[in-house]
Amino acid sequence: MATGDISVRLRNLAKSYWRGTLEIPVLTGIDLDIPRGGYYALMGPSGSGKTTLLNLIAGIDRPSGGELEVCGHALNRLDDDELAIWRSRKVGFIFQNYNLVPVLNAYENVELPLLLADLGRAERRRRVLRALELVNLTDRMHNYPRQLSGGQEQRVAIARAIVHDPELIVADEPTGALDARNAEEALILLEHLNQELGKTIVLVTHDPKAAQHARFQIHLEKGVLDRTVEVHDRPELPRILPGPEGA
Amino acid sequence: MKFLTLILRSLFRSKRRTILTVLSLAVSVFLIALLQSLLGTMDSLTTSTASGMRFVVQDKASFTNVIPQSYANYLRQQPEIEQFTAFQWFGGEYKDPKNFFANFAVDPETYLQVYREEANLPSIPPSQVRDFIRDGNACCVGKTLADKYGWKLGDVVPLRSSIFNITLRLNIRIIFKGQRNSDEMFLAFNIKQLQEAVPWMKGRVGAFTVRAKNPSDIPRLCDRIDRHFANSAQETLSITENAFNLNMIKMLGDFSTMVHSISGAVLVAILIVTANTMAMAIRERTTQISTMRAIGFSSGQILSLLMAEGLLLSLMGSGLGIALAMCAASLAANVAGQLLPWMADFIITGETLLLCVLLTLGLGLLSTFIPAYRASRRPITEGLRAL
Repeated sequence: MATGDISVRLRNLAKSYWRGTLEIPVLTGIDLDIPRGGYYALMGPSGSGKTTLLNLIAGIDRPSGGELEVCGHALNRLDDDELAIWRSRKVGFIFQNYNLVPVLNAYENVELPLLLADLGRAERRRRVLRALELVNLTDRMHNYPRQLSGGQEQRVAIARAIVHDPELIVADEPTGALDARNAEEALILLEHLNQELGKTIVLVTHDPKAAQHARFQIHLEKGVLDRTVEVHDRPELPRILPGPEGA
Repeated sequence: MKFLTLILRSLFRSKRRTILTVLSLAVSVFLIALLQSLLGTMDSLTTSTASGMRFVVQDKASFTNVIPQSYANYLRQQPEIEQFTAFQWFGGEYKDPKNFFANFAVDPETYLQVYREEANLPSIPPSQVRDFIRDGNACCVGKTLADKYGWKLGDVVPLRSSIFNITLRLNIRIIFKGQRNSDEMFLAFNIKQLQEAVPWMKGRVGAFTVRAKNPSDIPRLCDRIDRHFANSAQETLSITENAFNLNMIKMLGDFSTMVHSISGAVLVAILIVTANTMAMAIRERTTQISTMRAIGFSSGQILSLLMAEGLLLSLMGSGLGIALAMCAASLAANVAGQLLPWMADFIITGETLLLCVLLTLGLGLLSTFIPAYRASRRPITEGLRAL
C-alpha cells in the first residue's frame, strides 16, 4: 500500500505504565497498518491492551516507544496543544457511555467540536443539522441527554463524532451500554459511515457479533498483536446516507 | 462568545449549589462594602479641609472636663489665630429620648465664623444672623434636622438634657443648608443660656475651637498654648480638630483594626466556600472535561472555560452584594443619620465598589485556579476512566 493510502501506521509501538520503579508493559512491539477507509475491530480479553492501543491511535495517550503515524501525522512529534488541534480535525470519538455533556441539548452537543473550528454560526448550524439528519435525530435536537434513550444518546454521540468530518472514527465499546436492537442499529450506522462516507473506523469491542461488522478483526493477547482476521460474508448495505460532502 | 452558553449552562449545572454560593458571596461582599464604607465615612471626619484649619483647646485630662472661659483672653492675644469659639456638648433630647441628635452650646457671635463652611454662612440672610446673636434664646439648626421634625423659623424647640438636668426652650432663628448632610444634623444655641441655668457652668466652657490664619501655624500655636497653661489649675491639651474627631471615634475602640479583621475573616471564609464549590463542580465533571479534551479542546481552553465560570460566579455574588450594600447604605444614611450626624453622609464610595469588585475577582481566580488547572492537566485517559 502507498503511504497516502494508510490511515494508521504503527511500528514497534510500545506502552508501559510505571508503578513506582516497577515497569508494567501494556503493549509491546505492535506493527500495524490500517488503510484509509478501513474498518478494524480490536478484540481481546480484558487487560490485553486494546483500549490502550485505541487511545494511542486516537492521540489521547502517548506511547513509551516506537512510531505512531495517524492520518499523515507522526503523533510522537506533536506537543500537547498541536495534538489537541490534530484531534479536533482528524478524529471523531464514540464512547461506551456516550459521554454527552448533560447541560447541553442534542444540537449543542453535536455542535461542540465545531466550536473549535473557525466557522460562523450559520455554517455550524448547517453541519449540525446534516449530522443529526445522518443519525435520524433531527426531531430530537432540542432534547437534553436525560430526555433521550440510550440508543438515541449514542446516535447523538455518533453525530458529534462525524460533524467535523474527521478522517478517523475511534469507538471504545460503543455498544457496551446498549440493548441488542439499539446496538445493532448503532453498528449498522457505523458500517454505513465506513462504506458510504469512507471513514476509517477503529472499534474496540468484546462482542464477537459487533466485531462481525468490521472488515478486519485484530486480536490482542497480553499486549502483543496475536492475529488479524478478515471478516468474510459481510452483507453489502443499501446506500442510505448522502454523499461525504454533505457531512 | 460562542462558548458563553457552555459556560452559563455549566455554571448552573447544580442550580441550588450555585445560587447558595452566589448568596454567600453576596452576603460577604455586602458586609465588606458596608464595613469599609463605614470606615471611610469615619475617616472623612478626620480629613476634612475645613477641619484642617482648626484645632481644639480642651482639658488635658479629658475632653469631658470643662475649662475656664477666661482662657479666651490668652487666645485673643495670639496673632496667628483668626477666630475662636467656645462650645459645650449639651446632649439634649427633643420631647422623647428617641429624638436624639447632636446639640451644642456655643458662642453665637463667633460660632458661625469658625464654622462658616459647615454652616454655609454666605447663604444665611444677615437678618437671621443678627437675630441669632441678639436673641439669648436663639438657636440655629441644619435643614435636614429641621425637615425631620417639621421645624420652621420662629418655632420654639424644647430641649431636655439629662447631663445638666435642665430643659431649655430655644427659638429657631437660623435654618442653614450645609455642604454635606452630616453638617445639617446639628443644633447650636447660645452658651450663656446654659451658663445661667447651670451654676457650675458659670465662667466655664467645654472647649474652644480655634481657627488659625494658616494651617502651618497650628503645631506652633498648640505647643505655645499648652505651655502657657502648663502647671495651672487646669492644664490644656490642644489638638487639631481632625485629631479631636478621631479621639471621639476612638471611644468606639480600635474600629479600623476591628473592621479590617472582620473583613479579612469574611474573605477567608468565603474563599474556602467558593473554592470548595468550584472544586466540587469541577471534580464531578472529570469525565466531561476529559471528553472535551479528547474531542480537541486544549488544556488552555479548558482552563479558560473553568476560570470564566469561577469569575462569573464571583461577579454575580459581587453584583448582588454591592446592590444590597447600596440599598442598606441609603437606608442607614436616612435612619442612623438622624442619631449620628456623620452617618448622614454614609454612602458606598466608588473606591469601595472597586475594592469589592477586585476582591471578588481575585477570590474567583484564586478559588478556581487550582482545581481548574489540575482538571485541565489531568491525563485524558485517566479522566475518561473516572466514570
